[in-house]
Amino acid sequence: MGINLRKNVRSNEEETGLATRRRLLAWLTGISLSGSGLLSAFSNFVFFKPRATYGAPQRFTAGLPTDYPEGTRITLDAQRVCMVRDGNKLGAISTTCTHLGCTVGLSDTGFACPCHGSLYDQDGKVTGGPAPRALSWYKVSLAPNGEVEVDKNVEVDSGTYLNV
Amino acid sequence: MSTLTRTLKGLPGNIWASIFRNPLPQNDVERSATSFTNFFLHIHPVKVHKNTLRPIYTLGLGLFSLFLFVMLVLTGILLMFYYVPSTAQAYNRMLDLRGSVAFGTVLRNMHRWSAHGMVAMVFLHLCRVYFTGSYKRPREFNWVIGVILFLLTLFLSFTGYLLPWDQLAFWAITVGTSIAGYAPVIGQQLRFLLLGDVNVGQEALLRFYVLHVAVLPAILTLLISIHFWRIRKDGGLSRPVESETRPALVVSQPGAPVTVKAVALDPSKTYGLQGLVRGPLVKTGNVPDQSVFSWPNLLLAELFVFVVTLSLILVLALLFNAPLEEPANALHPPNPAKAPWYFLGLQEMVSYSAFWGGVGVPGIYVLLLMLTPYLDRTPKGVGKWFSKERLLANTVFLTFVLVNLGFIIIGTFFRGPNWSFVTPW
Repeated sequence: MGINLRKNVRSNEEETGLATRRRLLAWLTGISLSGSGLLSAFSNFVFFKPRATYGAPQRFTAGLPTDYPEGTRITLDAQRVCMVRDGNKLGAISTTCTHLGCTVGLSDTGFACPCHGSLYDQDGKVTGGPAPRALSWYKVSLAPNGEVEVDKNVEVDSGTYLNV
Repeated sequence: MSTLTRTLKGLPGNIWASIFRNPLPQNDVERSATSFTNFFLHIHPVKVHKNTLRPIYTLGLGLFSLFLFVMLVLTGILLMFYYVPSTAQAYNRMLDLRGSVAFGTVLRNMHRWSAHGMVAMVFLHLCRVYFTGSYKRPREFNWVIGVILFLLTLFLSFTGYLLPWDQLAFWAITVGTSIAGYAPVIGQQLRFLLLGDVNVGQEALLRFYVLHVAVLPAILTLLISIHFWRIRKDGGLSRPVESETRPALVVSQPGAPVTVKAVALDPSKTYGLQGLVRGPLVKTGNVPDQSVFSWPNLLLAELFVFVVTLSLILVLALLFNAPLEEPANALHPPNPAKAPWYFLGLQEMVSYSAFWGGVGVPGIYVLLLMLTPYLDRTPKGVGKWFSKERLLANTVFLTFVLVNLGFIIIGTFFRGPNWSFVTPW
């Protein structure tokens, strides 16, 4: 038979001005559908990012300042920080290696990572190994009850202490 | 009474015939009908090109990968009956598999060695397709799907690595996800999303479990289906162009059905539109001298590869136990902590440069792999191993493969405590 349906419809539309209206509606439909798609993709992203975590808390109290005598460096293994007392100042250095996330240990010269041999000095600056940057320092403050509070969500400049 | 006897007598035969609508094929018509009427066989073409069945051409690598995946699904489902994705229980369940579950050890061994085998086989399959130039037109997009399947296989294996919750698992995932953390801008966010926390813990175990047993296998199954479907739609497995004989299109009178002439078969014979499918023409039997019936040729080849896969994995599973170290302990990293072997090349590169080794170079690799069929447009050298026309492309690819293999070997055998260079002997 050989009827070209598409061509007939097109030319009809163009004659009556239907084409532009139909095209506009098609565009609007397309935009709103892809908009909904983007929104649901975004809401999935929001869903997957946990609001509460169930691991060790990022902000915690770590005893009284007197628990850290002058000149001591005490690691809190579960919280993965090292409390550094220097004179009457108290700081908190991360013990998570910046290379691939192992837990660094104290060494004579500072910190050493057992996994891939990264070395850090007393302030957490890289002195050897594959680590790309220095260990983080975290904000230390005094809670109202006089206890030391460390907040691992807030990174501070290297060498930032709390006067106690 | 006689009707009843006849019904009863015919019962087994009738039931059999209703399930298998085709008798065991005795002639070519029945052979084609078998591929046509059976659900499990109709994924095959009725006839395949002889080149497809040359063992030395494909080495059966794609089939090995598929059968390993099938075995992983089956053993994985069985293991799920005894596994609990909880940090308190996971490790004990591993011990239970050894101690109190019938065939538990063998099942876990089979699952473990199949997983390693699948990573290796999928990669070798990728190499085969590259060295035979099979990614070229019209198979470009199937190559891209194949690359994605390779990445998914790696991710699937990686997510499974954490589940035993021993020291090996814990630190391999700590190291592996830290590599992901090196991605610019989104790296840390990505790591947090993947782990559900800042460190590897209960959330990470649950997330990896769900990805491993539900999300990734589903995506992989879908993509494998598309991969297979496209093999047929793209004209079957690649083969040398010389072996193609194209039918000639005959323009017929207006109003008459479109006809196509298979020049090689019989110039005077015309075929109906049914035999004419868009793209490479495989339906009309245009090269009768070079194609054979799938039943039994292709099926026997597949059966052979399946039996080889199954027996290899069984032997491995009976001889070697899957490793199980001490329970995961976040306070005591082993020295050195190593990622799974297929990521050890990455880890080795990361020890030189964190960003370039972990993200930059692998990202470029993946991009180059996916773009390969769009960058290399010459139609020459398809269907032959190491063809002379592809000397440059093959050399470049082989260099990349050997360099990465070298990194993996160094990372696996030559890196000791503190990631210092050691000799394994």
